[in-house]
Amino acid sequence: MGLEFDRSILGEEFDRTEHDPVAADELIAFARALGEASPCYVEPGAALIGHPTYCIRFRGGKFFPDNLPEGLRYRMSFDAGKDIEFGVPVRAGDRITVVSTLHDLYEKTGRSGSMVFVVVRFTMTNQRGETVAVVDNRMMYRGQE
Amino acid sequence: MADRRFDDVFEGDELGPVELFLSKDQVRAYARAVDHYFARFTDDEGARREGLPGMITPGNMSMGLLTTLVDGWAGPGKLRRLGTTFRGLVLPDRTIRLCGAVTQKDQTTRSVELDVWMESDEGERLVIGTATVALQ
Repeated sequence: MGLEFDRSILGEEFDRTEHDPVAADELIAFARALGEASPCYVEPGAALIGHPTYCIRFRGGKFFPDNLPEGLRYRMSFDAGKDIEFGVPVRAGDRITVVSTLHDLYEKTGRSGSMVFVVVRFTMTNQRGETVAVVDNRMMYRGQE
Repeated sequence: MADRRFDDVFEGDELGPVELFLSKDQVRAYARAVDHYFARFTDDEGARREGLPGMITPGNMSMGLLTTLVDGWAGPGKLRRLGTTFRGLVLPDRTIRLCGAVTQKDQTTRSVELDVWMESDEGERLVIGTATVALQ
């Protein structure tokens, strides 16, 4: 694909979104949809916490930066996977802020040809400034003929 | 629920397998819970219009299910990191298996590295990953 881009765009914040306060019933519905029965995830009360992967329902208002290399803009990408570093659990009433950065951009050649991976990092904090999670979203673009 | 201790864990220990029938209704409930009620996750016809073989399971839900495996083994609040690669479409209304194994112990940090994966009833690994848990 011949990927060339200005590496200075890596690490630049391109979006900051604050979400509405988390409701207890949202935490419980999420955990139940995963078949969870642990009281800490499904019983209302002060001990209720979000299931660890509840954090990945939060996204930035804009998923990609405007200065993504031209060859990738407006093309369909696929969710290739995620890496999550977990911080403090989400609790009812938390207001989560998501700061988005372009974390990495690289090319790989596999059995099905060349692919470009765009890694968008969401750093999530609560209203106390505590880190809830750092999520690296790996989006994959297939090479063009 | 387990509250597993570091000293009781050994490299090569297995997690699961946990076998479950992943119904379309469960996938729809997840899509609704995360406000991602898109055709590809809720409706076969809509998914086919997007070029998919039928409705699919969100990758994030697969991560959530793998987390339930780790949580069930280690106890809630022990998971520190989870990394996954989505290798194949996870189609609902089928049986899947959640599996894992201990690959490494770190005495200094009292943490344990795991391989985790979700496989189809035919044994195809649809989602693979690694996880770190911290134990007492």
